[in-house]
This record gives sequence, structure tokens and C-alpha cells, in this order.
Amino acid sequence: MPPNILLDQTVTEIYREHHRWLTHWLNRKLGNSFDAADLAQDTFTRLLKSSKVLSLGNESRAFLTHIAKGLVIDHWRRLDVENAYLEAIAHLPAATAPSPETRALIIETLLQIETMLAKLSPRTREIFLLAQVDQLTLAQIADQVNVPVITVRRHIQKALLTCMTVL
Amino acid sequence: MSDFDAKLLKEAADWVMTLHYGHAGDKERIAFENWRQQSPAHGAAWARAESVVGIFQKLPSGIGKDALQTLHSSGRRRSLRLLGMFLVAAPAGLLTWRQLPWEQWTADFATATGESKSIMLADGTQLVLNTASAVNIKYTRTERRIQLAKGELLITTHSDPSPTYRPFLVETPQGEVQALGTRFSVRRLDDKTRVAVFKDTVEIRPQSGIPQKLSAGQQTIFTDQEVHAPTSVENSATLWEQGMLLAKNMRLSDVVAEMGRYRTGILRCHSDVAEMRVSGSISLSNTDAGLALLEQSLPLRVETATRYWVMLRAK
Repeated sequence: MPPNILLDQTVTEIYREHHRWLTHWLNRKLGNSFDAADLAQDTFTRLLKSSKVLSLGNESRAFLTHIAKGLVIDHWRRLDVENAYLEAIAHLPAATAPSPETRALIIETLLQIETMLAKLSPRTREIFLLAQVDQLTLAQIADQVNVPVITVRRHIQKALLTCMTVL
Repeated sequence: MSDFDAKLLKEAADWVMTLHYGHAGDKERIAFENWRQQSPAHGAAWARAESVVGIFQKLPSGIGKDALQTLHSSGRRRSLRLLGMFLVAAPAGLLTWRQLPWEQWTADFATATGESKSIMLADGTQLVLNTASAVNIKYTRTERRIQLAKGELLITTHSDPSPTYRPFLVETPQGEVQALGTRFSVRRLDDKTRVAVFKDTVEIRPQSGIPQKLSAGQQTIFTDQEVHAPTSVENSATLWEQGMLLAKNMRLSDVVAEMGRYRTGILRCHSDVAEMRVSGSISLSNTDAGLALLEQSLPLRVETATRYWVMLRAK
């Protein structure tokens, strides 16, 4: 059998067998059937693109759960970021609030920053944010977090390098 | 990333530290340029370092900072609690943006009333946004273009690291201003644009008028038709960058109009004090203190109905 027909068949079988419980599982996690249906769809799309799909055997359920868990976490992260964004603009007068395009751009940027920062220790992250977001000088940061300037410098350098590998 | 040499990434991070946090002079800049141009891989490692630094600059200062603080103060668990009752559909624009390559994003910056913001662009050019201002930054392979959507902007250009020449342009509805290696400010008035030059020269090109050059120490106004005759400007005109207004024999009504740009609500002066002359330095970053100073030094009183409705009257 040519591989793509085999792939079609395999995915169709997996879909038939697992779609129902997966949607149910997602619905329980998310408490919302629209998001659950969306994420179930995304889960199968990921499965289809995965190189492992043909060799799953009876591991399908575990693999689907693994993918779905990742998507649920992403979904939560996005909600977190969207909430934080909404809170941040809550006090702005309507006229100065960003347009929908800018809003989408800001949320996307925040998500990328979150992904980069996730790999940093809390201390390094705090120092890096003081440098990049508050634009404080090394000396000002040293004052604020009460460590020597050279340590501040080391934290920022480490953060930069980590972010560069994540981005 | 496996396709990046870890050693090059580390060197790029070291250069960020030297250029941003050291006292880099010409010697360091030349050494840096030599390093960067050693190979395409060096250039790519540097581009990666720049995009890490650049990503933070894409956030509008207030909003980005507040949002990141919220995210890190309360941790991830917030969403678990909120989940189920807080249902947001992803904005339609999101997907479109996501599909755009990173390089094609155009950065937008804005400041709220009373806020100012300094931005260092990838080519080393420094922008300072004054109160209630907004810009779109559009750098392409052939030009460096800043659209001033509203408010006022102070620019200090830096020689472009790009190997090909890219003119630096500031655009308003009335026309554009090209920097010829320089420090200058551009401010939008209702249907005019005001330009002041503090170093070197700029060329003003109205939409449908004759282009004209303006040199250091000069300021002028232009419409889409013509450039007005230049008048002189002093360096103190950029003191708003430090949150100060330096008044020299200025009409009180002008001072009040200027201060009004930095606070929300309405700030006015009565006609019987409008012609009073004011000299001295007045805080723009804290306009309440500025008003208190005026009240102390001039025969007038500040009438405050609410914080958003302030009137200056004769004593």
C-alpha cells in the first residue's frame, strides 16, 4: 500500500476510535465544548503531521493525550496572557486603547516573551525584565535587587543567551 | 537551536552587553563591525541577539510592563481558576499575524498622556516619544521610515549598519522629512507639521510643495503645500525629553497649553491671566508640581474642580 493511503487509513481509524473520548476529556479540562472541539481538531492535525503516526500501535491513546495536554497548556497560557493584557489596558481611556491589530500583535509578543522567560530562574527573569522592560541600568538593578553589579551583568548575559536559543 | 553555533551565540550576547551596557566608543564599534561581518553565521547570531532585545521594544511601555507584572506576580494558577467562566474567542487578527514572518512585523509604539518613552532601534537610532504620541516603524531594505501618527518625536539618528544606503524618513500627512545625519524633532499640529533641528540638517518635502533644507538651530512649520520661513530654536526645546519645560518670557496661555499636553482632563487659564509672562523651568513629568510652582511665583490661583478640570485665574 502506498504510504499516503496507509496514513489516511491509520488516521481515520484513530479518529474513529478516539475522537469521542478525546473531546470529552478536553471538555472536562476546559469546561467549554467549543474550545474542546477546536483543540480536539488541533490534536488530530498534530497527529497527522507527526512522524510517529504509523508506528503507534496500541499507544495511540497515550500519544493523543500527550499532544492534547500540550495544547491545553498552550491554551491556558494564551488565556493568561490575554487576561493580563486586558487588565493592563483596563484603566486606559477607550480612545488610547490599542486597535485590534495592535492588540493581537502585543498578545503574540507577550506569548513569545513568556516562552523565552519560561526557561529562566525566577531571579534571572526578574533581573532581565528590569533591564529590558524597565530599561534600568546595571547599577540601578544592582541597587534594587541588592546584588553586586557584576552579578546583575552575569544574570542578564545568561538570560540573553537562553532567550537566543529559545527564540 | 542546533543550527546555531553555541560559541557564536555567546559572542553575540557578549557584544550586546558591551554595546548596551559598556561605554562603547569608536574602537569597540569597529571591533564589533569586524566581528559581525566575519561570516554570515556571525551576522545571523547577531540578528538573533537583536531580535531578543527587539521583542521587548515591540511592547508599548505601560501595557507591556503591567501585563508582564501581572503574569509573574500571580503565577499560572490564575488561569485555572478563571477557566470556564472566562471565555475569550481568539481575536480574528491573531492568525493573520501569526503567519507573518517575524521580520515583516512592523513595530508600533505609543505613549499615553503624560508618558514619554525612549526607544533604541536596531540600527542604533534613538527615538523619544513625547506625551500622547504614536509612531509606526517601517524599516525595509531600501529605506528607514517612521510614520508619526500623532504627537511629537525626537530623533537622534545613528549611521546605518546596513551595507546599502537607506534614507531615514519621518512621514506626516503633510509630507516627509529626511534626516541628513542628525538630531531633530517632528511634531504634528492640527493640519501642519513642525520641525526643529538641533544638529546637522534635514530636508523637508511637503506633499505638493518645493522641498527645503533646515539646519541646526532652526525650526519651521510646513503644510502639504509649502514650508514656512524658519525661525530660531534653542536646544532647551528638547528638555521635554527630561520631563522639563524651560520657559523664557513665555505667555502663560502658551505655558498652560504646553502643560495641558501632559495631563488628562482640561487645563485652562482665564483671559485675565493669559498674557502674563513666565520664565523658569517647569516640571512636565509632574504637572501638579508645575501648577503649584506657577501659583507660588505668579499672582494667580489654581482652581481645581476635579483633577480633570483645572482653571488658572487672577488672584
